[in-house]
Amino acid sequence: MSFRHLWAVTRKEIQHIFRDRATFILVLITPTVVLLLMTYTLAVNIEHVPLAVLDYDQSPTSRAFIQRITAGEDLDLYSQVDSIAEIEDMLIQGQVKAAVIISPGFSRDLLSLQGIDLQVIIDGTEPESGGFAVEHIGWRAEAFANEILADQFQIQGIPLESLQPIDLRVQAWFNPGLKPIIDLVPGLISIVLGFPALTVALTLAREHEHSTMEQLLVSPIKRTDLLLGKIVPYILVGLLNVMLIPIFAILWFRVPFQGNFLVFIALSAIFLFAELSMGMVIGVFMKSQSAALAMSFLVVMFPGFFLTGIFFPITAMPEIARLESLFLPGTHYAIITRGVFLTGIGLETLWPNAVMLLIIGTAFILISALFFKKRLA
Amino acid sequence: MTESAFINITELTREFKNKTALEQITLSIQEGELFGLVGPDGAGKTTLLRILAGLLQITAGQVVAAGYDLNKEPEEIKPHIGYMAQEFSLYEKLSVVENLMFFADLYNVDVKEQEDRIQKLLSFAGLTEFKNRRAAHLSGGMQKKLALATTLLHEPPLLLLDEPTTGVDPISRREFWNILTDLHLNGTTIIVSTPYMDEADRCSRVGLMYQGELVICDSPVNIRNLLDGDLVKITTSDWQEAHTVLAPLAGVKEIQTYGEALHILVDSGKTRLPQLTRALKEHNLAVDEARTASPRMEEAFISLIRKMDQVN
Ligand SMILES: Nc1ncnc2c1ncn2[C@@H]1O[C@H](COP(=O)(O)OP(=O)(O)O)[C@@H](O)[C@H]1O
Ligand SMILES: [Mg+2]
Repeated sequence: MSFRHLWAVTRKEIQHIFRDRATFILVLITPTVVLLLMTYTLAVNIEHVPLAVLDYDQSPTSRAFIQRITAGEDLDLYSQVDSIAEIEDMLIQGQVKAAVIISPGFSRDLLSLQGIDLQVIIDGTEPESGGFAVEHIGWRAEAFANEILADQFQIQGIPLESLQPIDLRVQAWFNPGLKPIIDLVPGLISIVLGFPALTVALTLAREHEHSTMEQLLVSPIKRTDLLLGKIVPYILVGLLNVMLIPIFAILWFRVPFQGNFLVFIALSAIFLFAELSMGMVIGVFMKSQSAALAMSFLVVMFPGFFLTGIFFPITAMPEIARLESLFLPGTHYAIITRGVFLTGIGLETLWPNAVMLLIIGTAFILISALFFKKRLA
Repeated sequence: MTESAFINITELTREFKNKTALEQITLSIQEGELFGLVGPDGAGKTTLLRILAGLLQITAGQVVAAGYDLNKEPEEIKPHIGYMAQEFSLYEKLSVVENLMFFADLYNVDVKEQEDRIQKLLSFAGLTEFKNRRAAHLSGGMQKKLALATTLLHEPPLLLLDEPTTGVDPISRREFWNILTDLHLNGTTIIVSTPYMDEADRCSRVGLMYQGELVICDSPVNIRNLLDGDLVKITTSDWQEAHTVLAPLAGVKEIQTYGEALHILVDSGKTRLPQLTRALKEHNLAVDEARTASPRMEEAFISLIRKMDQVN
């Protein structure tokens, strides 16, 4: 292993990334743009979700609340019902996608600052609109509570600044596969980071096409140094994405970030190593950029969509697909991003995924080195 | 074949899927030679140079270069050669200096000496004022000189240059050959391939390749002397007609066409030149130019290749 050789290749590749417009766009712009596009495509499709409301409280406050949550374009009041049985009927017949149950103590609990206990039932067969409903009911409830309480505080002469965040307990029933936008965005990150991997797959082919490969192969560089030297720069620019994307996710889509940012960056670096090594395996076998591109879509992008559990739960997959998903870096990274973003778990829970990513990455690098010959034809 | 030769190639054969690119080549090259590999496209020049560079596997035979057996140690020879590929193979997005630095790193050029050596090569190749220009924006001749400079960074004892002057203007070609001659005089062993026969004259020894075979291998003088007889150059109003008229005449051994001109190999220039021009005039062909000339390598090579084609 020669660090001089490794660095020479890395430096050259970074210069290429920043000087070649197509490469620059592919590795530094595309991931964020695709993330935005995909999130929007999935988000704008959901509007006017029909709701059933079961109001046990029957108070002016609860009626005002119902009015409030159904005031926008996002949620529509389909029907006010009197029993849970009715809700079930409507859910089964698809008349409503979600139902809100207001408990008898709603108004009392709210005004006594105990927090409101809302139950939300959603249609498990349509987790997208269900999750959307849960999220939006949550926002509305919070705004509503804040307003009511602000009035209350003013009457009692308590300064507004001392207002504490309201503890909202939104429960969702029979929805193990719940996927609101905030859950989707962290998962999508692992898909869009496939673009740097795709670029890695192209870099060897590019050298073949420009016959710079010949000059590389005739030099005394070791093949592992060459392959790693080509992966490292893409890990670095991949990490730029990893920093850019959460900013969008947090500021734009208001996805919470509960975990430790440094842990997230470190785990992302390991993921990128695994994902890019996978791209490198493709690069070793494909001699033209177009072939490498097609293969990357087949091997990196599509499985990233279908097999990593981002859209379709892994538990529902056939045995073989489940096994394959274990060897896809995206599967582990989806667990990592969701954990770090949404629940704030750290290395103590995620280390097996980190270890698995290291194993996958090393295995792919070894396979690449094994099949990469320092010879022509 | 001498034991002490710098490069010993013995019955080297290289096959591609359905093509024999090199067939039973046996050749030895001494240290310090400026050896020219000449031959038309597809002759096998690139394949031979790639094998010497450790880039291609040997199908059969043996190649020992600079003390390395290339069947067993293709990687080991790599630090000791400078190889210039036929196609431009440097990084277009990098500047002249960046390309040089990249290869200085790959060839482990001493860090303290690196700066100095790059400066020297830049002025040697006449690229100093273009050192910050992207390689993509250099002229063809400058690109070739840059490629040569990168192969010289680690001062290799063996240079393998694959058509370094193809697609280069005549002035740059001359400059390039002056550089090669300098290197040759400094003792570097150089093998250079070229499709231009006139360049072969500047080599100490020349190997003519044709269809994967080494047709002949000798000094330029000896190769030229293979043609016994004289050369007559004639330009007429209609070369095709002239060709038909002259071919059957006595003393005419061979006619080669060079554009509008005919190069005619005859047993004796002095006696045949007047006979030839007379024959042309009898057929009402205007003779623009008719003179004797000393045969060049080019005529010798073409004559050899023709004989080979007739045998096959
Ligand atoms: N990688 C390859 N695969 C198949 N055939 C090849 C390959 N490289 C060269 N050849 C064939 O071998 C012959 C010699 O080619 P080459 O060595 O490139 O000749 P030259 O350099 O003299 O033009 C040609 O017929 C060419 O088509
Ligand atoms: Mg060639």
